Amino acid sequence: MVSEDKLREEVSELLQEGKIKYFIGFENGGPGCLARPAFIQQPEAVGRLIWSPGCVHNLTRFLQDEKRRRAREKNPDLRPVGLIVKGCDSRAINVLLQEKYIERKDVYLIGVSCELMGVIDEAKITRRLYPAKPLQVKFGAKDTILVSTDQGESEIAASEVLADRCLECPANFPLVADVVFGEKINKPNPQPYKSIASFEAKSLEERWAFWQDQFSRCLRCYACRSVCPMCYCDECVADSIAYAVSADTTAEEKAQKVKWVERNPEPQENIFYHLVRATHLAGRCVDCGECERVCPVGLPLRLLNKKLEKEAKALFGYEVGFDANLPPLISCFRDNDPQDFIR
Amino acid sequence: MAEEFEPKIMAFICKWCTSAGADLAGVSRLEYPSNVIPIQVMCSGSVSPLYVFSAFSQGADGVLVSGCHPGDCHYMKGNYYARRRLALVKKLLEYIGLEPERFQMSWVSATEGVKFTQIIKDLVKELQPLGPQTKLRRN
Amino acid sequence: MTKMDKILPKSSFSRWLKSLSSMKVFFPKKEASGWTLTEVAADGTIPPDYSYAVVPPKKLIFPQEEIFFEFQQTADDGLQLRETLPEVPPQVIVGVRPCDGRAVAALDQVFSGSFEDPYYWRRRRATILIGLACNTPPSNNCFCLSLEGSPSSEEGLDLLLTDLGDRYYVRVLTEKGGELIKTQSSLFSDPTEEEKNLRNKISQEGAQKIKRNLEAARELPPKLKTMFDSPFWDEAALSCLRCGICTYLCPTCHCFDINDETRALAPLKGRRVRTWDTCQFPDFTMHSSGHNPRPNRASRLRQRLLHKFLYFVELYDRFQCVGCGRCLDLCPVGIDIIEVLSKARNHGA
Repeated sequence: MVSEDKLREEVSELLQEGKIKYFIGFENGGPGCLARPAFIQQPEAVGRLIWSPGCVHNLTRFLQDEKRRRAREKNPDLRPVGLIVKGCDSRAINVLLQEKYIERKDVYLIGVSCELMGVIDEAKITRRLYPAKPLQVKFGAKDTILVSTDQGESEIAASEVLADRCLECPANFPLVADVVFGEKINKPNPQPYKSIASFEAKSLEERWAFWQDQFSRCLRCYACRSVCPMCYCDECVADSIAYAVSADTTAEEKAQKVKWVERNPEPQENIFYHLVRATHLAGRCVDCGECERVCPVGLPLRLLNKKLEKEAKALFGYEVGFDANLPPLISCFRDNDPQDFIR
Repeated sequence: MAEEFEPKIMAFICKWCTSAGADLAGVSRLEYPSNVIPIQVMCSGSVSPLYVFSAFSQGADGVLVSGCHPGDCHYMKGNYYARRRLALVKKLLEYIGLEPERFQMSWVSATEGVKFTQIIKDLVKELQPLGPQTKLRRN
Repeated sequence: MTKMDKILPKSSFSRWLKSLSSMKVFFPKKEASGWTLTEVAADGTIPPDYSYAVVPPKKLIFPQEEIFFEFQQTADDGLQLRETLPEVPPQVIVGVRPCDGRAVAALDQVFSGSFEDPYYWRRRRATILIGLACNTPPSNNCFCLSLEGSPSSEEGLDLLLTDLGDRYYVRVLTEKGGELIKTQSSLFSDPTEEEKNLRNKISQEGAQKIKRNLEAARELPPKLKTMFDSPFWDEAALSCLRCGICTYLCPTCHCFDINDETRALAPLKGRRVRTWDTCQFPDFTMHSSGHNPRPNRASRLRQRLLHKFLYFVELYDRFQCVGCGRCLDLCPVGIDIIEVLSKARNHGA
């Protein structure tokens, strides 16, 4: 069991001793029974921190803000930022380390083990308990989850309401951390790409009809990009005419900027954006599932991004986020990389 | 009788090998279909997936990326990176339902003028029955 | 025109909707990700578990993409413009929650005044809104009562249905709404005293079930006016991802971007397109000089809240928030607008 009190103690000590600048954890107050990110700057505030099955967010995303903050300040505070990482989040850290986006000393990682084999999918709990509305979740005894609803308490088996991505997770225990809470419990993962495999079995035209329909619903709100820890580019291809302009940018430079994709949400433009994002995530996406969770129109983005994770493994033997010393997927090659598709 | 569909093929060809091979085909008076719009790049490794997606978005019926054989790259390693990167692009495009014949890669050296013409001929033959590419083409 | 009340048995509901099939009918449909308003052959009544449409009705009146005109270079090097005002067949939206009705009324004000936006008004005039009163709050985060709305508010709607169990209580609010009844008047009857009382009871109970409350909302505008430079916003915006969901899914938000899309260069050919935009994107206020007056999330969060709770009040004497709860339900990091505003109201006190 992960002790919330011990967690708070640890964070309080770190803050008191000035070892970290601030701490990013979870607190109550998310919509429904989800937690939400909490920024703790004073030791007195650690009482807000919780660890529950509703702690679904990938807090490594906030390292982007920290990095931009440092870039803006004249004399930035270079102490590490403390944050909680689950197994998936720790793989994200490894990817950021691989790409030298952050250095190991920039973060103090408090790892937590997913002893329940994952975190919850709020939609699954809501459907399960309808018409009662879930308000909070806690760990129960024996692989169960305790849900407080507006119509009383409920105890359900965790396996029924775990997030889909957790069911295919290869690492329910943090791979990199300064201290870890919770026991390491082995999680069998017999079918890591089950959802992809069943989709691949469809015919070409079935697949196209599916994606065409999905992408007609995309609003181009870019929430998937905004929530992704790996989408940290200051200037994104999708907005390539807008960003990264300064007082020194000449008129010629502005006129020469290539507009790769239009802003309109027609399906072909939406597909372009999503294809580009999926390609940019090849070998980097750790399937934290946040993009799919936050999408307001429910696009099956995991089905897209995870395909390249599968191919990275199948074609190149590359596993994402397990080794911070590996070069990024597309910055390396093997002499015997497959080329049967090349004439 | 409807006119035979002539696919428009964007070909990103590397300057040092494939482009030279295409020139050789020209100088040797070898005939091949005129469906190709060649874009010379310095190295197949410099071909970004963005170029491929953009070509389809703007109506290309087929896209070819062609470079030096592994080991012969003018920049040593460029074609190795291309091989890896574009393998992923090919898998992704097929996954979303684009016909696999539409995006292809080849290794063509500076002396392989005949191979180049054969690739183009084969490509046109494979693309003709598929018709115009409308899936990714923007309105 | 005088309002008119009628009763429609649920057993006749399908027939009534079928009679409207000469128009486009948008009906609540449940998808994996939530409810949508889709053109489906409406079969049966509005499902009892219907909450609200995640993408609000604004999408059907102020769509994500609007083509303004097309341009083409002519043979003599001139430029020809072809106006593309939307040809909008009459459309009926069924199941509009009263808050969304009020939101449309707010949008009406924005797109009128000294300039009437022709694209907006073509769609608006072709649209008939059939509201559905909230017997229970669609969301745990509803707070319409705090903002001068209610679960049975009538503003912006053409008809308001209240579910009485096996019947709908139908209140006709506009002539457009009245026309929809006239064609099938045999299906409708006049309400009895009992039915009128039942409707009032249900409306009252619906209002009592609303859990969340933004106290003293009218105190916010003058207070917010003093807080432009306050460090309060930095703390409140710490976890904001600038994702745009709050504004895209907000039924009153209406900011847009206009872009020229070139299709061909020689001869030049293209079109001018309006799309949704959001003040939450970093480059929303980016100037071509590189200066950005809202360069951080604090200033952008401040902008969103001040627009809704100060500037709009100064312009139109109403809040630009209807308390629908979508931003609260959908924010990826749980930023709670009620919480932030309550803290703002008490800030420095």
